Amino acid sequence: MSSAPLLSCRGLAVSFGARTLFSGLDLDLQAGELVGLRGRSGSGKTTLLRTVCGLDDPTAGEVRLDGRTGDETGWPCFRRAVSLVAQEPLLPAGTVGQAMARPFAFRTCSALRYDPGLAREVLAEVFDTPPDLDGDAGVLSVGERQRVALSRALLLDARVLLLDEPTSALDPEAARRVEAAVRARADAGLAALIVSHDPAQAERWCDRVVDLSANTGGRS
Amino acid sequence: MTETAPILSWLDLAAAAGLLLLAGTVSLVLRLGLEKRLAVAALRTMVQLLAVGYVLRFVFTGERALVVAAMAAIMVTAAGHAAVQRSSRTFAGIHAVAFLALVLSAGATIWLVTGVVLGAEPWWTPRLMIPLLGMILGNGLTGISLCLDTLLERLDERRAAVEADLANGATRWEAAREPLKDAVRKGMIPILNAMTVAGLVSLPGMMTGQILAGAEPMQAVRYQIVVMFMIAAATSLGGILVAVMVYRRMFNERHQLRRGMIRKSGR
Repeated sequence: MSSAPLLSCRGLAVSFGARTLFSGLDLDLQAGELVGLRGRSGSGKTTLLRTVCGLDDPTAGEVRLDGRTGDETGWPCFRRAVSLVAQEPLLPAGTVGQAMARPFAFRTCSALRYDPGLAREVLAEVFDTPPDLDGDAGVLSVGERQRVALSRALLLDARVLLLDEPTSALDPEAARRVEAAVRARADAGLAALIVSHDPAQAERWCDRVVDLSANTGGRS
Repeated sequence: MTETAPILSWLDLAAAAGLLLLAGTVSLVLRLGLEKRLAVAALRTMVQLLAVGYVLRFVFTGERALVVAAMAAIMVTAAGHAAVQRSSRTFAGIHAVAFLALVLSAGATIWLVTGVVLGAEPWWTPRLMIPLLGMILGNGLTGISLCLDTLLERLDERRAAVEADLANGATRWEAAREPLKDAVRKGMIPILNAMTVAGLVSLPGMMTGQILAGAEPMQAVRYQIVVMFMIAAATSLGGILVAVMVYRRMFNERHQLRRGMIRKSGR
């Protein structure tokens, strides 16, 4: 692919004191591309996702979306477009519907209107048996919370999704459903960086896989 | 209706100490083992209150601004320290935050009450200011410590939920708003409860004191109302100030919830 990347990471490095998690990382994501991310435990995969969306600062390097950094666009706007779904998301107290609707109250989403009908449709894409919008979000399992958080990100039409082991608490059938939902959005232009510990899944789901081990290790 | 209370002599105090014998006897009969603690507590009460009495007598005579300021500074510092001591979590600079919130909230409220409502001249007249400041700080430190504890707990234990909001495009203010609201609300609960039951469950302490000292009951009631409003204003202002200062410390201009700021205080 030769077009300008949607998301571009240049020379990214993260160190904690003397320990370098990764350094010199260059990574481009094109619109519609699903990129798998693998590496040994503790190699910094979650930290990389947090750094890409600006929840943590890199020690060196920068991330650009459409050629602009978060400092230029404003970080809330940047994260509205480059959205992280955590491995074990916490939902706000209340109903599933309230959890789905919550980001629509944010200033960066003021152009969007929350539509419960559309929310049900997205949940039905991701779940085989979707939770009721009026149901209590506090009783959902980790796997259900993962999928509600993913559905919410899909509903928000983020341009890049950063998915941290999004199917780690799911059975194979449920995982395939999630893969299909994300792939369908990728066909419409969504890009995603997906951490997966399952090589077979990464192979099946992603267009290519990046191994973070090449950039990890060492003490600065 | 302005009978003054009987003047208490040292002998009267000794007679009152006889009341403690009753508590001591109960402890002995039931083998509670509280006699020694009771004696120490009684001695402490006597020594501390007598010391405060002598200090107040010194502060009240002469109306020296510097002396009043020094007394107020000691009271605010002690209150700030106590507010922080009760919190189960802490962060670098927590003492400064509690101290500043108490100085600003108590300072503004006390000036409004003594200078504007009571029309005292000067506004820092020690006989009015010191007791009122004591009431503001006593309640304010409870409010501030509850507010601090709630806010730090929410930002620590529900960090993932706050960051989920940030990850979906929330500004730091939008992500922090609910923990901040909960914290200020929690800090206000004791004074709201006190206001709700004032006069129904018990007569408030200051009003009781004034009535015992011979004040006309309606005047004592008016004073008590002023005091309740004053405490409510100072507590809410202190809570909001603490919440905003903690917010500005925990979140940076890149709309990140800063890592490693909050730690358990071991209490």
